[in-house]
Amino acid sequence: MDIVFKGEHLLPGQLGQFFIVLAFGAALFSLICYYFSAQEDVAKSDNSWLRLGRIGYWLNTVAILGMGVCLFYILYHNYFEYHYAWSYTSRELPVYYIVSGFWNGQEGGFLLWYFWTAVLGNILIWKAKSWESPVMVTMALTQVVLGTMVLGLQIGSAHIGSSPFLLLRNAMEAPIFKNPNYLDFIKDGKGMNPSLQNYWMIIHPPTLFLGLASLVVPFAYATAGLWKRRYKEWVAPAIPYALFGCMILGTGVIMGAFWAYESLNFGGFWAWDPVENASIFPWLVLVAAVHVLIVFKNTGHSYFTATLLTLLSFVLVWYSSFLSRSGILGESSVHAFTDIGLFWQLVIGIIVFLAITIYLLISRWKELPITKKDEDTYSREFWMFVGAVFLGLSCLQLILVTSVPVWNAMFGTKLAPPTDPVKQYNIIQASFAVVIALLSGFTQFLKYKQTDIRRFFITTLVYLVFAALITALVVYATGVYKLNFVFNLVMLCAIYSVVANGKVLADAIKGKFKLAGSAVGHIGFGLLLVGALISAGTKRVISENLTGEQYSAEFAKDENPKENILLYKNEPIKMGEYMVTFRSDTIEGAQHLFNIDYQRIQNGKVTEGFTLRPNVIQAQGGMSSSPDTKHYLFHDMYTHITMTNVITTEPQGEEASHGEEGDDKKYDAPVTHEIAVGDTMTYRDGIIILKGLNKNAKLQNIPLTDKDIAVGAQLEVISHGKTYQSEPVYMIKGRSVFDFGKKVEDAGLKLRFTKIIPGKTLADGKVEITVYQQPESKKKFIVMKAIEFPYINFLWAGTIIMVIGFFMSILRRNKELKPEPVKVAAQPRVKVQKKK
Amino acid sequence: MKKSSIVGIIVIAIAIAVIISTYSSTSTYGSFNDAKNSKSELHVVGHLNKSKELFYDATKDANYFSFYMKDNKGEECKVVYPGTKPQDFERSEQIVLTGQMKGGEFHASKILMKCPSKYTDDKLNVTEVSAKKSASI
Repeated sequence: MDIVFKGEHLLPGQLGQFFIVLAFGAALFSLICYYFSAQEDVAKSDNSWLRLGRIGYWLNTVAILGMGVCLFYILYHNYFEYHYAWSYTSRELPVYYIVSGFWNGQEGGFLLWYFWTAVLGNILIWKAKSWESPVMVTMALTQVVLGTMVLGLQIGSAHIGSSPFLLLRNAMEAPIFKNPNYLDFIKDGKGMNPSLQNYWMIIHPPTLFLGLASLVVPFAYATAGLWKRRYKEWVAPAIPYALFGCMILGTGVIMGAFWAYESLNFGGFWAWDPVENASIFPWLVLVAAVHVLIVFKNTGHSYFTATLLTLLSFVLVWYSSFLSRSGILGESSVHAFTDIGLFWQLVIGIIVFLAITIYLLISRWKELPITKKDEDTYSREFWMFVGAVFLGLSCLQLILVTSVPVWNAMFGTKLAPPTDPVKQYNIIQASFAVVIALLSGFTQFLKYKQTDIRRFFITTLVYLVFAALITALVVYATGVYKLNFVFNLVMLCAIYSVVANGKVLADAIKGKFKLAGSAVGHIGFGLLLVGALISAGTKRVISENLTGEQYSAEFAKDENPKENILLYKNEPIKMGEYMVTFRSDTIEGAQHLFNIDYQRIQNGKVTEGFTLRPNVIQAQGGMSSSPDTKHYLFHDMYTHITMTNVITTEPQGEEASHGEEGDDKKYDAPVTHEIAVGDTMTYRDGIIILKGLNKNAKLQNIPLTDKDIAVGAQLEVISHGKTYQSEPVYMIKGRSVFDFGKKVEDAGLKLRFTKIIPGKTLADGKVEITVYQQPESKKKFIVMKAIEFPYINFLWAGTIIMVIGFFMSILRRNKELKPEPVKVAAQPRVKVQKKK
Repeated sequence: MKKSSIVGIIVIAIAIAVIISTYSSTSTYGSFNDAKNSKSELHVVGHLNKSKELFYDATKDANYFSFYMKDNKGEECKVVYPGTKPQDFERSEQIVLTGQMKGGEFHASKILMKCPSKYTDDKLNVTEVSAKKSASI
């Protein structure tokens, strides 16, 4: 029996699903047409296959846009009958996060990739000229493979792809979905994970996916070149696209690093988490590929390496999405996705593109234009080639270690990742960085083909000495010299790269400006290494804590100094050269902000004061803490709440129901003081002074007659430099005695005026004040961690400079492309046929 | 000898070195029993014994958290972690500890836990906390 469900909005989903199928069909159609178009003899063709291929691709693009509109419509209108909307958004989520909810799930990620490949394909249709047909075959193939990922077809028990338009009631089995009115019970979606509610979530994923998607273009050119036997020609038009891929993917990855740094959730800007590693495999290989592509273009050497690396970089894009999306990293990564049933489809994705690579390289092996002559030892091409190989090796090491779970799955072994992977990666990758940075420096003094050896050695040496002097200064000033020797070597080589390329840049500005791109890029890379090294190597926990109960001597010995400190509200604590005080907490929207005062004290004087406001977000049943940072030019100081009793995740109903009796339980046993006006009482956190007695105390809602007496005790509480006023009241009404206690919440006190001990006059007499103070554990507190990251700005500046360098190189390489006359396009093919 | 062959040999040598270092640096998943017999750090997989006390009192020591975990062989051991109690620790289904045994207690330097997502049982969230000393580079 079919249930008719009420209140569902099925149209956008059905439309979206239609677009998914349309996009897939159109991509397949385009693939077939372009394939036949590429096989035709251009001279005789009427271009009908080409035109059909274009139509197919355009249709695919339109359908992808349609999907995006449908999905956004669903998210924007909070249609929680859709699993995707329910899983990643909620009603109170602001619009900009709803936009980013679009790519919160895996399906959305695929949509982004799908979309960017469509955009790039259209650019190629417009620009690729004679390359269009063979290049677009690969583009259309990519669209077909990506299309299957979001298809959401159910065939028996197996399903192909996972559609973002899946209905909630189809996604889950639950009795509630037997109810036609089930939507009345689903008031809100699960909302976005609090740690993703960050502006980087809006910009980082689209950039990263554009980067990953753009790697298909050099791959498409390389396959087209091999397939159509236009071995040498494909390189020049592929270089600008490869540079574009390096630039965008690099930017995307660094944005992720910046996000991680800012939110501190993953322990700094780079934690060598498997997912982070996976994102730079393709980048490292592509950067290597760009270098050898340029070598080949200038000298004709390194053809095989250039082609292989270009092809591999896109295969690695698939491998890295397999790692992060298949759930295989489950036990070793913090931010990998869980499998949504795409495991084998992702494997097929890798196999398809790997098979193309292997087939083309083997079948064309004998025809490849590989030079028989060796490069000259003192030539730029030789050392660029060596550098590219080392980039590849560094990537190999990352792949081998990151893929430990994959080896386990493949060979049935039970290896665990290294216990201290960060150290492991740091040392090994630093060794590669030494070689790569050194090469990126001295290779600048070499020329293509042949170099004047004597001059080369002199310049290299001069700059090396110069770099060594700067390094000595930097290393000493920042404390890097205390680290492992390898890191000092990296520092030397990175600085050497900066000064050597600085010279090239200076020359370029004087004359050969086209060389500036690479110099700027290398300077950026050098600075990036310098910043990463100092920042990660000399970061320092300021919130050192030597206190704490000694649960076991062994534990204390091992772990001191510990890194979290406890701050009670309004009780200042000395932390390094700062005096810190937890002042207050406020709630702004979903954020719970904590105001923490910092005062830097030098020689007994307050030299600087500021307030940091770290916050905690509660959502999806968990808490997520984000730090606040004081930025200085040369270092950043972080403050991060690791624990607090201000927010509880447990329901709060309990406390309220206890009433007066229960209320006293929240305090330590009361202490009574008999004091006269002007006297002082002490308590654990300060003093209380009885300023005077107010004989005309008034109480709300209690009318007093002449016979009644109500006296207020004017008390002043001084605690940790703060003063509070309080006036508990003692009252005799009729024959009964009452007292009305007052609470001083901020000081954790409850004060009662419990007795009047008459003297000769009222003023002369004494009074009894009962003091209740909260036990330490009931007072509001936070546990926080403060960390100082020095010189991080070098890292960010280096990145920006490197991206600028890539951009300048794109402009240059683009300019070098000679416009392709339409007629000439047919010529290479004629040559190929002669060869046959 | 041709230069390309020399480069090739160097590359192969480094590649082999990398593979060996990868293999030798991987640690093992073990039990508490293995940990007792080992001086080096290792990974222990298991689950939280929810019937025993989870101890964390920030007012006494903000950097001391202890609990009891059963490893996959059923052996139970007290675990000490030098940091704050991770969020939602009680709800964890599976825990992967990194650390070593010291005097009958397992000192964890890293805890990776899998929590069931609050709404769907088929999805697991993985979170990791680490108490590694800051100058770990």
